[in-house]
Amino acid sequence: MDIAIQIALNALIAGAIYSLVVLGFNLLYSTSRFFDLGYGAIAIAGGYAVLYFYKLLGLELWSSIILGIFIAGILGFCIEKIIYRPLRTRKASSAVLLIASLGVLTVIQAVLAILFTSQFQTLGRGAGESRTFEIFGGAITQTQSIILITALVVMTALGLVLKYTLFGKAVKAIADDEEVASIVGINSERMIGIVFFIGSAIGGMAGIATGFDTGLQPTIGLSLLLKGVIAAIVGGIGNVYGGVLGAFLLAIIENLGAWQFSGEWKDAIAFIVLVVFLLFRPQGILPK
Amino acid sequence: MERVNRGSALMWVIVALVVVVGGFSILGGKGGAPSTETGPIKIGVIGPLTGDAAIYGEPFRNTVQLAIDEINATGGIGGRQVEAIYEDGQCNGKEGANAAQKLVNVDKVQAIIGGVCSGETLTVVPIAEKGRVVVVSPSASSPALTGISPYFFRPYPSDASQGNVLANIAYTDKGWKKVAVIQEQVDYAVGLYKVFNQVFSGLGGKTVKEEFSSNVTDFRSVLTKLKAEKPDALFVLTQTAASTQRILKQMEELNWKPQIILDEASAGDKETLTTYKSQLEGALTSEFIPDLSNAKLQKLMSDYKAKYGTELPYLGYMAPAYDIVYILKDGIASVGYNGEKLATWSRTIKDWQGASGSVTISSDGDRVGGYSSEVVHDGKTEPYKK
Repeated sequence: MDIAIQIALNALIAGAIYSLVVLGFNLLYSTSRFFDLGYGAIAIAGGYAVLYFYKLLGLELWSSIILGIFIAGILGFCIEKIIYRPLRTRKASSAVLLIASLGVLTVIQAVLAILFTSQFQTLGRGAGESRTFEIFGGAITQTQSIILITALVVMTALGLVLKYTLFGKAVKAIADDEEVASIVGINSERMIGIVFFIGSAIGGMAGIATGFDTGLQPTIGLSLLLKGVIAAIVGGIGNVYGGVLGAFLLAIIENLGAWQFSGEWKDAIAFIVLVVFLLFRPQGILPK
Repeated sequence: MERVNRGSALMWVIVALVVVVGGFSILGGKGGAPSTETGPIKIGVIGPLTGDAAIYGEPFRNTVQLAIDEINATGGIGGRQVEAIYEDGQCNGKEGANAAQKLVNVDKVQAIIGGVCSGETLTVVPIAEKGRVVVVSPSASSPALTGISPYFFRPYPSDASQGNVLANIAYTDKGWKKVAVIQEQVDYAVGLYKVFNQVFSGLGGKTVKEEFSSNVTDFRSVLTKLKAEKPDALFVLTQTAASTQRILKQMEELNWKPQIILDEASAGDKETLTTYKSQLEGALTSEFIPDLSNAKLQKLMSDYKAKYGTELPYLGYMAPAYDIVYILKDGIASVGYNGEKLATWSRTIKDWQGASGSVTISSDGDRVGGYSSEVVHDGKTEPYKK
């Protein structure tokens, strides 16, 4: 029976990374209201920042990670300021913003490829460095457990912040109606800037986790983002807990599919889940 | 207003005329190039210059350029300089076809060196054949390329040989009855799996296969499944070392340490062998290895290092790449720069001495000779001994 346990653990590991992706994505989407494709590349840029500090400069692990998260946040913040904000003040449609974000994705990918080559690189310093825990005959490594715990901590923190702080309330107000929010005195431009910083920083965590788990490549940002989008739609777009639920559900279905059918169907299964939800429950499991 | 308009309209007509006439005379001069014997000889080169497989494409381009520079420095071919036109095939059929279309129809080359991957090469050949352009690959090893076209040849053996060697040792010497295969969905891996499976099942063994598409990075559940099959060995069959490294890392995380069979694409990657040294200890593999004591190969290795500052990687692929340029040089010198004539000439290549050893091309376009088996020991490949 240990195959079922291992499959469940595999789903947990994949789900943890999807969760981080969806948490940042949901936050950005609820305020800016467009599918920010650049988010995928920003997440990977966070991973590459850690690669630079940790592996190339030889900095200490945790300070590299914090720097990586910070750089992803700053990058998201700047891109919002330089590219998305002028478009939004010109009342550009979300289709225009989507295309602009496609440009952001392409440019960041290209820059990463120039700086770090398009080769596959992993953030771990060597094989067998991480301890492995045995759980009922299944295996999970220390790094993977840390990723899982991080995802759950970020989810709880974000949920609490959005519910109980003034900032959270302001974000919700902007999500409901940006114009009315500014009329009642919320500085929506500043708020959106902060949201882009936090959302991109969470995305950076996802990119860093990916770097430790399956390794980095400039082009994996898009597939990472797509998994996050599917998780968001399945869970209920804009809902913090729904997104995480969707992420784990997606991971479980994917891994079950790989087990019961065949590994080559993994991506197809993910998109079938998306289509089924779009057709029969477009509001997701936990609507906003 | 009208006057100005008419004046500027006239201006535009003149400009258009100049462009058209000028263009014609320039293009016309170029168009006549194959018949004039003075311009440079343009040879098309297709390889994966970007993406995972760029680890082959980059040294491939360097090696080809090294040979061309040498030829040009010694007077070119019959007094004409050689010029390479590099196109990115990205290791896949679609980009390979685009590259071939451009080289055949726009640049009007008579010979194409490449592709490096089987997937690229399989789509390049039919396009080149239509344009009567000869194609020669240094490393595409899929059995599907054997006898594919009279316009194609390769100074590299077919995977039929690699699959054969591996399956025979696995079953007969090692006594493995059940081999799990994790296979990337690319032409190279499909072709090699087919041969391996055919020979291995023919001997009485059984294979269990899981496939994955090239963009997959999480192999855990597929590996979990294969582990539960309790195979005697796992055949890691990928196009590039990147996937192999991910698979090995995730196997270790799953606490699975089976006997391993590696394809030549990963066995040729030094980084994979040294990083995953303990997991790969004793792994069975096979490579097409040029003879290291060959003086031409030694010269190529030292020249490459002097020019590019790094060691020449993937000797099994790069030595043939280097040889191809000189083979084409000899071909052009004897029959002229003409795809059709070069194609016929290619079948007469016999005991041609190059950096990859003695090259003989059989009537189906393959190099005569084959793979030798190896084992991984202490992060390096060694010849296999029973």
